[in-house]
Amino acid sequence: MPEGAVYVAPFVCGVFAVALVSIAGAIFPNRAGYLSSAMAVVTFAVLAWLWQDGGGTFNVAWAATLDLRLHFRLDGLAALYGLLASGIGIAVLIYSTRYLPLHLKHESRPIQDATRFFAFIVLFMTSMIGLVMAQDIILLFLFWDLTAIASYFLIGYDQHKREARSSALMALLVTGISSVLYIIAAAILYADYGTFSLPALFENAQPGSRLTLAAALIAVAGLAKCAQIPLHFWLPRAMVAPTPVSAYLHSAAMVAAGVFLLERFYPLIATSTILLNALLVIGMVSMTIGGILALTAPALKRILAYSTIAQYGYVVFMLGLGGEYGVSAASFYVIAHGLSKSALFLTAGTATEATGQDQLARLGGLLRSMPLLAVGSGLAAAGLSAFPLTIGFFKDELLFKASLERGTFFATFAVFGAALTLAYMWRFWRGLFLGPVRTEAKPVSPVLVWPVVILGILVFAGGLFSGGVAALAAAAGEAALLRPTPVEVAYHLDFRDVNLMALATYSLGVLIIVTRRWWESAARAMADAGRRFGPEYLYETSLAQLNRFSERMLEFEVRDLRRRVSTIFVPAALLMVVGLIVSPFPGEFDIGIVRRADIPLMVFLGLAAVAAFAATRPARHLPLMLALSSVGFSLAAVYAVLGAPNVALVAVLIETLLTVILVGMLTLFPREIREAMINLEIPRGKIQRDSIIGLVAGLFAFVIAWGALSRPSPNQGVSAQHIDLAPEAHAGNVVTAILADFRGLDTAGEITVVAIVMIGIVAFLRPRTAR
Amino acid sequence: MTTILTRMIARLLFPVTLVVALAMLIKSYVSVGDGFSAGVIAATGVSIQYVAFGYRDVEKRVPWLRFAPSAAFLGLLLALTTVFVPALRGDAVLTHLPRPGNEVTHLGTVELLTAVAFDVGVFLVVVGFTVTALSMIGRVAEEESS
Repeated sequence: MPEGAVYVAPFVCGVFAVALVSIAGAIFPNRAGYLSSAMAVVTFAVLAWLWQDGGGTFNVAWAATLDLRLHFRLDGLAALYGLLASGIGIAVLIYSTRYLPLHLKHESRPIQDATRFFAFIVLFMTSMIGLVMAQDIILLFLFWDLTAIASYFLIGYDQHKREARSSALMALLVTGISSVLYIIAAAILYADYGTFSLPALFENAQPGSRLTLAAALIAVAGLAKCAQIPLHFWLPRAMVAPTPVSAYLHSAAMVAAGVFLLERFYPLIATSTILLNALLVIGMVSMTIGGILALTAPALKRILAYSTIAQYGYVVFMLGLGGEYGVSAASFYVIAHGLSKSALFLTAGTATEATGQDQLARLGGLLRSMPLLAVGSGLAAAGLSAFPLTIGFFKDELLFKASLERGTFFATFAVFGAALTLAYMWRFWRGLFLGPVRTEAKPVSPVLVWPVVILGILVFAGGLFSGGVAALAAAAGEAALLRPTPVEVAYHLDFRDVNLMALATYSLGVLIIVTRRWWESAARAMADAGRRFGPEYLYETSLAQLNRFSERMLEFEVRDLRRRVSTIFVPAALLMVVGLIVSPFPGEFDIGIVRRADIPLMVFLGLAAVAAFAATRPARHLPLMLALSSVGFSLAAVYAVLGAPNVALVAVLIETLLTVILVGMLTLFPREIREAMINLEIPRGKIQRDSIIGLVAGLFAFVIAWGALSRPSPNQGVSAQHIDLAPEAHAGNVVTAILADFRGLDTAGEITVVAIVMIGIVAFLRPRTAR
Repeated sequence: MTTILTRMIARLLFPVTLVVALAMLIKSYVSVGDGFSAGVIAATGVSIQYVAFGYRDVEKRVPWLRFAPSAAFLGLLLALTTVFVPALRGDAVLTHLPRPGNEVTHLGTVELLTAVAFDVGVFLVVVGFTVTALSMIGRVAEEESS
């Protein structure tokens, strides 16, 4: 075994889990949930154990000629995000073992569909682990796209709903198009530094405009994935997914991957203050707008979605702050947020399951019927609102510390953002559990309550024993910054700045809550305006316009055969014109001398030309076809004259087969239709237009052929080599030796394609009874 | 409907095309022609039958044509086997036997080479594909007209 193979064990566990869940789940769909929960536990345990041991590196060549390596490293960042993805995964998967059968029943789908859900969740977890451990830009990209694909299937899990499909597509497009930016950045970096390896890159990176450009492209990819404004709109739409999917993707996995990317490439991003300032601004905008939208959104899950945008806005804000605290504080924040937010999403799922309602206005007073859930989610909400004795207190403490380092303005802003969080969390929790009972709750299974409670207890426990989380965050900060950073969290009962800021947050939060009456209409108007003119509107219109454009193109192209031919030939001719204009002209078009031996050749070429002209005359179909095929036969004769018997043979055979098939097709048409087609009156303008198109296309094909023939072929050497090698390959026939031996792989590929096309034909045309 | 002359010529041509195809196939490594050309000849022979007699008659008279899809896949399997089996022995893919310089066993003019087996695979794919496509289209057309 290669050195360090043990460090890919968590990833291998995940791959094994995907296979196991898909195969075993196909046989026992009822067990897929338990199986995947167990596998998540195993993965989490292996990861934790390896991290306890200090982590390490696994590095083997994968495609050495392309400079690609399987390079994984379990460092602080990888441990943090990997443990988060698998740990929250356990809670969500256990919750789903009960939730999903109910969900499938509501949607009247068979239980067999459960397997797909669990397999994709586990696939997401696995690709997340691969992503965080990858130390190679291309490897990282593979896992990055794998998460996008898995999220597409998870968000669109209720595929019979149109909204689910379009939301899944939106998430895929927004995060997928931005991952194209990532690959462009990878190309820039490789061109400049000649390596895909991240450690080597960080070592050699020179600050400069090209590096800034690459880092900016990567940052956009990350920001799209963690739903930062203006690329945030896919996240609220993704709430059509089953609740466990939202709980997983939008608390601990998909959005976390976005921030992870920013942290992983932080050494590159941090070389440019412009980029850091851009992150600051984007973070602040996302915090504000996400917070305000969360204060107005009517649906439970939407509140949480906007809250996620705002919370990741904090994280991006902290990364933008930079400095000693920013990165490790951001890492700490991701853990605290992941724990709280997944619990809150699961709460929303349970409440909806119990009452059948998903709008806040129709819910309330659930405290009496579901006290445990109220306590669990209360702890989580308190954590997100940064109350003391929860892990959230420290996340805000670190936020305040980091922002103070940059100045009063940023500190004030941090307080404002935290106060918004407090306000919408209160709105969410109070709306669910206090007030009058609006919809009676049915009793629910304890499996739908206990994961929330346990996550809530973890949020609480994190506030008492925060050392482990702080150590992990410090390790992650070190991995991102490439130098040690301290994370110190503790309670101090005095009036230091950070504590005063916390007090200010609570008072401002309460103020926002009690003054709701005054600002509510303004906030709603803002939300409305955003929906109507914001980036989502832009996305929708541009998608619609693109669709319309492509439909128009298609309609233009396939209306009739002439159009189809001309859409190929006319642009080709135009490209030729461009090619002629930009390339040097003289010497390109030689006119050779005509020797006596060339006369037979000229005769056959002349015949081909005559036949081609004959084919343009209107006539009955059979003569037309024969004229066309005689063009082919004349050209075959040209090959024969040139001394290429095998090529001539193939040309003759293909021409024969085509003629026979065409005749066969003709016999399939009823006679009346054939007569009608002959007597069809073609408008004069159409004939003229088609002639011009034909002439233009022919002229430029002629020019390009002339240009190509004026120069000796650069491949002459290869042909000579083939001829020389033929006897050694025991071949008397060079062409066959090329097909079956020298270029045999090409042939193998081609016949494979032919076989696949055959499958397609059979699938389309087989008798309907057999379908 | 076609004339009796067409049908008679078609019937006479069928065995001839098949024999020519076979001859071209097994001699492909020694003289003009290859698996692809041989496949096209055989396919032309079959398509002439379809044109002259129509789908249903041909299906009745030449029942073994329904094995065409299987023949295509058998050919693909054969070709891919000759491509990838050398890899199992540790050679580069598509290493043909006998190696350059070694003696080739002759069977009359036919050389026994793994490259010829590959060519036979190509032949089977071409014939199988063409016949399958033609019979599918022929059936659909006849169903629609009847």
